[in-house]
Amino acid sequence: MAGVLNVSFKMAAGWSWRSQLGPVIRAGGGCLNRRGWIPGPPLIWVMPVRGSRYNPHYLEPELNKEWHRILVTELGPEESAALELRAVRPIKAATINQSSSVFSDPLTSKFINMMMQRGQKLLSRSIMSKTFETIKRKQIESYHKAPESDKDTIECNPHKIFHQALENCMPVIGLTNIQRGGKSYQVPTPLTDNRRRFLAMKWFITECSENRHRRTHMYEKLSQELLAAFNNEGNVIKRKRDLHKMAEANRAYAHYRWW
Amino acid sequence: MAMSGGGVQARVAWLVSRQHGRPVLRPNKALALADRVANKKSRLGEATCITEMSVMMACWKQNEFSERACAQEIQSFYTCTAKAEAERKARSDSVGQTSTLTPKQATKLLQRYPNKRQVT
Repeated sequence: MAGVLNVSFKMAAGWSWRSQLGPVIRAGGGCLNRRGWIPGPPLIWVMPVRGSRYNPHYLEPELNKEWHRILVTELGPEESAALELRAVRPIKAATINQSSSVFSDPLTSKFINMMMQRGQKLLSRSIMSKTFETIKRKQIESYHKAPESDKDTIECNPHKIFHQALENCMPVIGLTNIQRGGKSYQVPTPLTDNRRRFLAMKWFITECSENRHRRTHMYEKLSQELLAAFNNEGNVIKRKRDLHKMAEANRAYAHYRWW
Repeated sequence: MAMSGGGVQARVAWLVSRQHGRPVLRPNKALALADRVANKKSRLGEATCITEMSVMMACWKQNEFSERACAQEIQSFYTCTAKAEAERKARSDSVGQTSTLTPKQATKLLQRYPNKRQVT
């Protein structure tokens, strides 16, 4: 602490952070290897990137505040068993992306992360919020222009439009490459929910970043595509339909699958 | 079996030797158990949910690939795939619980506790 407070005085005298680190970096630092202790800095830091480090016993954190407000007496038999399990098992720490706020939405967070490039989270988030604002403006404009009878059918909530558009774009069946007798065939195969969600988001992002005029902003194009997908129109829906058509054309090869 | 351990070594040495004419055995690998088990080629299964898929695709062809018209067929396809996935997971979990080990599990154990090289 004393070193940090006196930074402004010591800067001129050639003070460096390294001298302040002290016991963090030891003079005789090295790395432990199978052959023994090798002096010197570790030559290669190999740190696996994906995958959970948690023991399988750890349970997921419960972020929903309403769940915590339910009285113990009102719980069913399996819910009270789950609660007792949570008393004895360790719980994973919540990640930065998870939030117990009513405004947080895991689907939106996932989309923002997928849209993010080079770690620019603020830019990605601002694009997303501008997209929602643009959608809301367009819908309110059409709401006020519509006759009284049609006003109920117009959806003004941009989050609902986003969710519905993504759901409309998720493919039902996918294609995988399977090699048989030297030739590789496109075989129709079922997809997991995560894969379907990923494909829908990926199609949106690639479509909106590639097929737009250079003066059109990303949020503008995104809002157009989301509203079109909400009404089952647009290029992303077309791409999903093309995938379905190809799967239908290749249905004869479905037996090449072994799972 | 353990009593005749020395006897086996002598026999193997005689079989490989060239002192009595041609050697009977000409091994290209060491005559010792390796610390790994050969991978058994598991029998390939068959594709699941073909009927549901074909029903769904027939519905698509009739209704020009609209999802609203084929909602029921799509839902039955989803339930079928979910069931098949659950069955596959249960099968892969139970393989480890029974008394036999998979080749991969046996190899992993042998790598941790290898065979003795020298009889000490």
